[in-house]
Amino acid sequence: MAEPKATPIGPGVVQVVHDGRADIVYVAGTSDDRWAFSNGRVYRETAAPESPAKTRSGSRPHVSQALSAPMPATVASVSVQPGARVRKGDTILVLEAMKMELPLRAPADAQVVAVNCRVGELVQPGTLLVELE
Amino acid sequence: MPRIARLLIANRGEIALRIIRACREMGIESVAVYSDVDRASPHVAAADLAVRIGPAAAAESYLSISRILEAAQETGADAVHPGYGFLSENAAFADACERAGLIFVGPPAAVIARMGSKIEARRLMDAAGVAVVPGETPGDQSDAGIRRAIERIGRPALVKASAGGGGKGMRRIDADTDADEAIRGARREAQAAFGDGTLYVERALERPRHIEVQIFADAHGHVIHLFERECSVQRRHQKIIEESPSAAVAPGLRERMTSAAVAAARAADYRNAGTIEFLVEGSGDAATFFFLEMNTRLQVEHPVTEEVTGVDLVRAQLAVASGDPLPWLDRSLQLQRHAIEARVYAEDPGRGFLPQAGLLLLYREPRAPGIRVDAGVVEGGAVSPHYDPIMAKVIASGETRSIALARLSAALREYPILGIHTNVPFLLRVLEHPDFVAGRIDTTWLDREADALARNSDGEIPAFVRAAMETAAAGAAVRETQASTPDPWRTLTAWRG
Repeated sequence: MAEPKATPIGPGVVQVVHDGRADIVYVAGTSDDRWAFSNGRVYRETAAPESPAKTRSGSRPHVSQALSAPMPATVASVSVQPGARVRKGDTILVLEAMKMELPLRAPADAQVVAVNCRVGELVQPGTLLVELE
Repeated sequence: MPRIARLLIANRGEIALRIIRACREMGIESVAVYSDVDRASPHVAAADLAVRIGPAAAAESYLSISRILEAAQETGADAVHPGYGFLSENAAFADACERAGLIFVGPPAAVIARMGSKIEARRLMDAAGVAVVPGETPGDQSDAGIRRAIERIGRPALVKASAGGGGKGMRRIDADTDADEAIRGARREAQAAFGDGTLYVERALERPRHIEVQIFADAHGHVIHLFERECSVQRRHQKIIEESPSAAVAPGLRERMTSAAVAAARAADYRNAGTIEFLVEGSGDAATFFFLEMNTRLQVEHPVTEEVTGVDLVRAQLAVASGDPLPWLDRSLQLQRHAIEARVYAEDPGRGFLPQAGLLLLYREPRAPGIRVDAGVVEGGAVSPHYDPIMAKVIASGETRSIALARLSAALREYPILGIHTNVPFLLRVLEHPDFVAGRIDTTWLDREADALARNSDGEIPAFVRAAMETAAAGAAVRETQASTPDPWRTLTAWRG
């Protein structure tokens, strides 16, 4: 099979001739996080695995479970306090983004070690919100 | 009644742009309003004037009646268009506009209040001979009161915001659902989306189709309909794909539904554009339909009706609000084409449909015969986490359903959006599903299929895509060097603004 031949034909637009046909591919992003689109499909390649969750209160080596924000969101409610015992599936807190509620639930039976967010706070993706043990 | 000369648009995103477009065509000056995070949004740039109305939180900006009225006064606007969502079905807002001497582009406040009250709306429908789905707005709005209403109506039931639609604040209560958690979640969402946490409880029908009738009324006694739209493809009560005509509506059923809708609008003493939503059980002329609710505003999916009938609904809204008679006669309206709309949302179907926010690194809209794109975003712009995740609507039309469907699929295949995940790949899988192609759908269909359709089957990056990515990586080094030279226009905006 011949090597694909790629030719930029406009800003973010590449024509690739391969296997006897030509495809248009749209490309954007940086070398760390590159995106591409072709024929209704989206491809993404990140250089490193997603950076570890950012914590504000320093690292806690014994924490076995943590709930972090999957997206920019506002904290709508927090139903636990440090020290509380939770069961798998319990709602720990509720985030709100784009007018939709997203409950974050306990992944397993656990004890709450720390709650790092307040109701009404805008949190960023990866922010560690609740630590469980 | 005075002509509208300067219109304030109390909304953002694609619908604000749609209304600004109509203003431009009609020689009406447009006034945009914006929150702090929307300062650089396309609707602000497109309008003739723009006013900051508050911080990002909708409650202090797009839902603030006082801030919006101040903006209207400041700019000398003589009319207000509420768009959809936000304050569009808030009777107090319409009333405040009327009191401030502003034309509210929509029905009178009393009609919004009447149709917004599910009890009153159902009483009116009953009187007009239209069947209604069993349900109630409990007088006791406490958790226990709502719980008792659920048990009276029977499970499965739906708990939803009394004050608005769009699936916001709606929860399905099945036999095993934790009712209290659902009630509290529905109330919080209703409060956040509409500023009113009042809840309504109704029986959930089994596998109904969602079919709605567009109606329009003027101040001269004319009430007409513009046929139906089918919106059965919904994910958790959020419409995703809408079309007209409905594959499930035979001529006899269409006649019965549109007559009921016109009678209902007349009974409500309706004015301007509105939609009567029905749930339909069964098929053919034997199908039965139930009144679901009336939306006293322009709908997200209004372009579908515009494409099949060839009219401009927003233009007609502004004309009727100025006191003109309806621009069309009932008998001049025809279903000329088939149209299908797909809503493009900033969400990641591969990760539980999580809403996405961030910068649009690349955004190029498809252009082709029979394709219309109503969008509220631009390349280089941001999608904010603060508001509804709708980015754009792609509407395809053609002589037949299969032509419209083929055009919509082809357009979505040529709609690159990079930098955040969207539902475009998911939409394509929905449109190409044999059930959708055959029109075998109901309001629960997508919730049954969504997990399978959301699974990302892309897997490995194909060699030809990788080749394109590598070419771009080589080119990027050059562009980054160029970008480090300051752009005088960007530098200027700091003091121009």
